[in-house]
Amino acid sequence: MLLALGIGVLVLCSALSLALGSRPIPLATVLDALSGSGHGSDADVVTGLRVPRTVIGLVIGAALGAAGAVAQGVTRNPLASPTTLGINAGAGLAVVTAIFALHLTQPLQYVWFAVLGAAAAAVLAYAMARRSGDLDPVRLALGGTVLTAVLTSWTSALMLASRRTLDEARFWLAGSLSGRSLEVLTPVLPLIAVGVVLALLVSPALNALALGDEAAQSLGVPVVRIRLLGGLAVVLLAASAVAVAGPIAFIGLAAPHLVRPLLGNDHRWLVPGCLVAGPILLLAADVLGRLVTRPSEIEVGIVTAFLGAPLLAVLARKVAR
Amino acid sequence: MNAVHTRRRRTLLLCAALAAGLVLLTGLALSTGQVEMPFTDALRALVGLGDAGDVLVVQEFRAPRVISALIAGAGLAVAGSVLQRLFRNPLASPDVIGVTGGASFGAVVLLATGASQALIPLAALGGGVLAAALLGGFAWRSRMAVSRLVLVGLAVQAGLAAAVNLMIVRFPAELATSALQWTTGSLYGRTWTEVRVGGTAIALTVAAVFLLHRQVSVLDLGDDSAGGLGLDPNRARLGLLLLAVVLASLAAGLTGPVAFVALAVPHLVRFLAGPPTPATLALTALTGAVLLLGADHVVLHLLPVHGLPVGAVTATLGAPWLLVLMIRRSGLPQRRES
Repeated sequence: MLLALGIGVLVLCSALSLALGSRPIPLATVLDALSGSGHGSDADVVTGLRVPRTVIGLVIGAALGAAGAVAQGVTRNPLASPTTLGINAGAGLAVVTAIFALHLTQPLQYVWFAVLGAAAAAVLAYAMARRSGDLDPVRLALGGTVLTAVLTSWTSALMLASRRTLDEARFWLAGSLSGRSLEVLTPVLPLIAVGVVLALLVSPALNALALGDEAAQSLGVPVVRIRLLGGLAVVLLAASAVAVAGPIAFIGLAAPHLVRPLLGNDHRWLVPGCLVAGPILLLAADVLGRLVTRPSEIEVGIVTAFLGAPLLAVLARKVAR
Repeated sequence: MNAVHTRRRRTLLLCAALAAGLVLLTGLALSTGQVEMPFTDALRALVGLGDAGDVLVVQEFRAPRVISALIAGAGLAVAGSVLQRLFRNPLASPDVIGVTGGASFGAVVLLATGASQALIPLAALGGGVLAAALLGGFAWRSRMAVSRLVLVGLAVQAGLAAAVNLMIVRFPAELATSALQWTTGSLYGRTWTEVRVGGTAIALTVAAVFLLHRQVSVLDLGDDSAGGLGLDPNRARLGLLLLAVVLASLAAGLTGPVAFVALAVPHLVRFLAGPPTPATLALTALTGAVLLLGADHVVLHLLPVHGLPVGAVTATLGAPWLLVLMIRRSGLPQRRES
């Protein structure tokens, strides 16, 4: 029931994303354009710009939402997310390095560097948190923060060392859905698919993990293996998202917190719920960014950071009484 | 008793060693560069004696930068130390709770308006106080729980970083570069104006911290005992907190939010000299100054690429060290709730 409602909201957000922007287009025209019977410049805007943007928003939002839910489950930390674990910063550094050294100019060329950097950062965060085979959740979060600080300062240093890199990278680093063609999405789709499947597979075990490592072990859950698989899912999903759209903060953090009051703490519901809540949040933020400074727009990564910050503050108030 | 005595002697020895290191580093920083000169000449030039060219180089270009590094390093380290003791939490540094982020937000806003750069320390102070006010608004209850403060601080930091990011994306390249330099922490182009304004304010605040520092030890006894000794714990805490915020903002206004100095130096000092005393606070100030000046030397003379921000160096040095610290202790530095 709630899931159906969620999907309804998601469809509404998609429709808004297709219809609103620097120039509003009536829904009827949108539908005509989608069915292929519409022509003219409005229809071209819809099929050429807004459809790819909306599709990318749907996929990336789902990936980020699921990544956040699994990250929070695996680390038993309600503040874990791709951003807080240093994954976005790792992708950022890798892409900026590639732009600096290889003179790249197209988002399509960034994709694999972003995936590589995100994965490397996640492995590092994991290695730092690992201690005699066990994973300390608090240390993981702190390690992620430290890692982010270092990686961002290296990223800035590279951008300061070369004006061309600065110009090329600063827009990508803001995080945006605009100006991407669907081709950018294609290479990472398999990664996202594997990530989603893994996320859904580990979600029952995450419920046991929530009871604590020892309790989970005594219930017969292979804690280490679940953490590894969950971590892999987070990396695949977050890395794909950052590769396509740049670092987008807080969607992964916010989605689970939005879903929990509605569907409860059961990860078997939480993870699918986040697959829906993530795109809702991302598309809503993207539409908002298009409307507030019309006719120009604010990158969605900046919108989510603005909206996410007070949310994090409210969460922190709740988490740490 | 004996142990305390040994420790104090060790602290004083460390202070002396660092002070000597400080003088050496200062001499090195003043005498090396495009124009090389002997130590003694550099020191003479500093007071206006000797070759006119040397005097110009030393007085106008090198001295403001060196003094900025010393003052800001000391200021950041002392601010971090006060915050960490106040909240009894090794993570509660001005970087983590968003104050230095607020300061760089203030500085970047000023850059955006195109006003005189001499006003940057003031703008940074405004930004830092704004961040602290946001922090207080969200986190304040009659007692300040540490974990809430740290988490809300991260949130404040993230929001302000988004604002800075927005400006960097929108700025023309020239302005974006200098904004980026500010937000990473850099000592390029410091002039006497900034040193005079920022430096005086920082020196006064550090002096005030030293004067009030005894209250921290009283607070350590617990609120009830502190009250029994005639100290209003909440007022004392608020006063020290404000001083730390002002100090961190001013330091960030001078050099930008140089990473890990405020976070790591108090750890380093605790590791070297044990639990805090007034003497270790002096040691903290000295360590911060030496560290930042040393890092700036690396940026200027030891790296192949020119124009790197000093914050990149301190982050590179500070982070692994902090991680080693985390791994060596069982678990991370213990999170103690107040």
